[in-house]
Amino acid sequence: MSWAGVPGVTAVEEAHGETTLVVEPGSLVEACTHLRDAEGFNFLSDIATADYLGWGGKGVSGYIGTASGRDLNLPMTQGLQLTAKPKARRFSVSYHLLSVSETPRRLRVQTWVDDGEPVPTVIEVWPTADWHEREAWDMMGIPVEGHPNLKRILTDDDWEGHPLRKDYPIGGEPVRFSEAE
Amino acid sequence: MAIESDKRLRDHGLHSERLLWPTKGPGKFETEVDELEKKVGLTTLSKAVAWAQTKSMWPDTFGLACCAIEMMSIVSARYDIARFGMEAFRSSPRQADLLIVSGRVSHKMAKPLRQIYDQMLEPKWVIAMGACASSGGMFNNYAILQSVDKIVQVDIYVPGCPPRPEQLMEGIIRLHEAVQAGVPPAYDLRSLAP
Amino acid sequence: MTVAPERTRATIYEGTRIPRPIPTVLQVSDEIAATGDVLPINFGPNHPSTHGVLRLIVDLYGEDVVGLEAVIGYLHTGFEKNMEQKSWWKAITYPERIDYLSFQANELVFVLAIEKLLALETPPKANWMRTCLCELNRIHSHLVWLGTAALELGAISMFWYCFREREQILDLFEMVCGTRMHTRYFQAGGLAEDIPRGFFPEARRFATWMPKAVDEYEGLVDKNKIWLERTVGLGLLSAEDAIALGQSGPVLRGSGVDWDLRRVEPYLAYGDCDFRVPVHHEGDVYARYRVHMEEMRESVKIVSQCLDRLEGMEGEPWIADDRKVVLPPREELHTSMESLIHHFKIVTEGYCVPEGEVYVTVESPRGELGCYVVSDGGPRPWRVKFRAPSFVALEATATCMSDALVADMIAIVGSLDTVMGEVDR
Repeated sequence: MSWAGVPGVTAVEEAHGETTLVVEPGSLVEACTHLRDAEGFNFLSDIATADYLGWGGKGVSGYIGTASGRDLNLPMTQGLQLTAKPKARRFSVSYHLLSVSETPRRLRVQTWVDDGEPVPTVIEVWPTADWHEREAWDMMGIPVEGHPNLKRILTDDDWEGHPLRKDYPIGGEPVRFSEAE
Repeated sequence: MAIESDKRLRDHGLHSERLLWPTKGPGKFETEVDELEKKVGLTTLSKAVAWAQTKSMWPDTFGLACCAIEMMSIVSARYDIARFGMEAFRSSPRQADLLIVSGRVSHKMAKPLRQIYDQMLEPKWVIAMGACASSGGMFNNYAILQSVDKIVQVDIYVPGCPPRPEQLMEGIIRLHEAVQAGVPPAYDLRSLAP
Repeated sequence: MTVAPERTRATIYEGTRIPRPIPTVLQVSDEIAATGDVLPINFGPNHPSTHGVLRLIVDLYGEDVVGLEAVIGYLHTGFEKNMEQKSWWKAITYPERIDYLSFQANELVFVLAIEKLLALETPPKANWMRTCLCELNRIHSHLVWLGTAALELGAISMFWYCFREREQILDLFEMVCGTRMHTRYFQAGGLAEDIPRGFFPEARRFATWMPKAVDEYEGLVDKNKIWLERTVGLGLLSAEDAIALGQSGPVLRGSGVDWDLRRVEPYLAYGDCDFRVPVHHEGDVYARYRVHMEEMRESVKIVSQCLDRLEGMEGEPWIADDRKVVLPPREELHTSMESLIHHFKIVTEGYCVPEGEVYVTVESPRGELGCYVVSDGGPRPWRVKFRAPSFVALEATATCMSDALVADMIAIVGSLDTVMGEVDR
């Protein structure tokens, strides 16, 4: 599947049977409009944001599981320490697209932004993006440029902070265990 | 889909206070409630009023999350709460006696919850249904109020995630017994948790 | 001046009715606002008919709904942040409570995402049993929907009929999984335990009874004049608008789009099951109701097919054999040192899932339920995001409410089949 016709794509990644097109935030709307009109991705399934602050901080052992057990000859099955590949910027915003048609296909369009850098709205391309972008703003603090109604959606209107960021504490109360006293 | 068997539950090794056996004496809770009644010494009129209050204690429709589904199922035919006169779930808090807080209470919902509680007329009782209402449950985080007794005074806590309908009914029946024994509603007994 | 013309049975519209500039807010037009007769009311979070804690701020002009905005967030629980703190195994308990009516679909989507990242294959018995339980859960969800939707429109006795069958389904769940709701039965790799012996005859009995129960429900409301008056021609959503608004599930199929993830992107054992996907083209509340009813019948068919297959799989493994991810059988712990070490590592640290990101979707009773998981290779998820179909369905309220009366509002919001736990996560 060639993605050469899509404007603004800087990288194409394939993993786990899924394709990810990485675009710059500036060319996001153009790429999405092209995908909707020319490639038939008429359905925006989800806008998922992720915060990579602290990514790759510690080594973890990579392992691939199979139904019949560990394959000793596959790379990375010996439980070697490896660190996750570092990310260029802090936040990733992934647009999960689907083409509701005779040939269903899924695609992920991903942009990367830093703290405070805005992402243009795709509400003109898919009206369903409205609340997803409000959630991205509320939970991760990613400002969306051009959104007609960018207010908090899940938390209270006067909430401070963006809860799903990695530097926002989990909150709650410390739990006292009876045997501790 | 009834289980057909001629063995009694105690023959299977199960013990339950709630089964009415002619040969079974009162359980521990009932004995304590009896002693409390004798100590508090209610007059016949108060006893009659308490009896009337328990026999038709109407709950408010305050279903929040998963526990609300189990709360709805006590209205259904199998667990039939109409036997206790409580199938009339009032939509208006002004007409309700009992607030069953069923589900997790987020900080955004705390204000409406308190408003509903304030709109209820006294005497009013609160059952915190489920782990989330009793203590915050599995959600020890920024979004969920860690126990509803920080904003309203709770009479009965029903544990479970979600509690079975029988568990909720046990809680309701214990509330009835406590009311009949003369225990005042929670707002006369306790202050809010810190 | 009235907004809605004479109340004739409206039919599906051409073009788009998505409000501008904000697609999810119906704004009062200037000419109506100029009359000064608009009454804003609050259809508050505590309301018997809003299916949970949904707040609608409605502008009324007489009885016509001229402005609508949905406010959500009253059940925001911070699931996604909580799941980042727990190990992969413990995190599976959380998704169930997101959509608390179709709890197994939520578990399934998260477990499928873990398995996709691990490239772990599940044995066929697990796939068939998962299919069977998910379809039972679909029937359960539709029953609760039907009971409550009918209750709100005044068909009060439907509630008791639906909950009678619901209790039978919950009995089946209790038999297999140990608990009625929030059955934590799916593990990464298959099922937590083998299927108990009494399950098949009880499930068969249910599967033979259920179509007759659906006949009873249809006998109550299908041709009932009051029901037809209150549902036909209301809450119209065209196919084009539905896709633009990201609708899926019964809402999309009620608008005429033949789209069901079980058929177009088969997962579990759906590829081997023979079932029909009901589609109606009127796009109104009645069409969505018909889709729900027919889906219940199709689910019973799928359950029967699963039972046929499962009865022949006695003695097969119900979970993958990968000891780095799946607990070893308890008998082995007494004899094998490696099993003991594996057990210890899995229970204390938990298994590690390789680095990567996946997006997995399943067809929950409400539509396309998606789970986006990012793993850094460690014992805990880095980011989990759930795409909730009800969240998106509520975005369509403004479009569906054009030309609605106050009384229709409840029917329309009910037909979108929203569960607020999913909406707010």
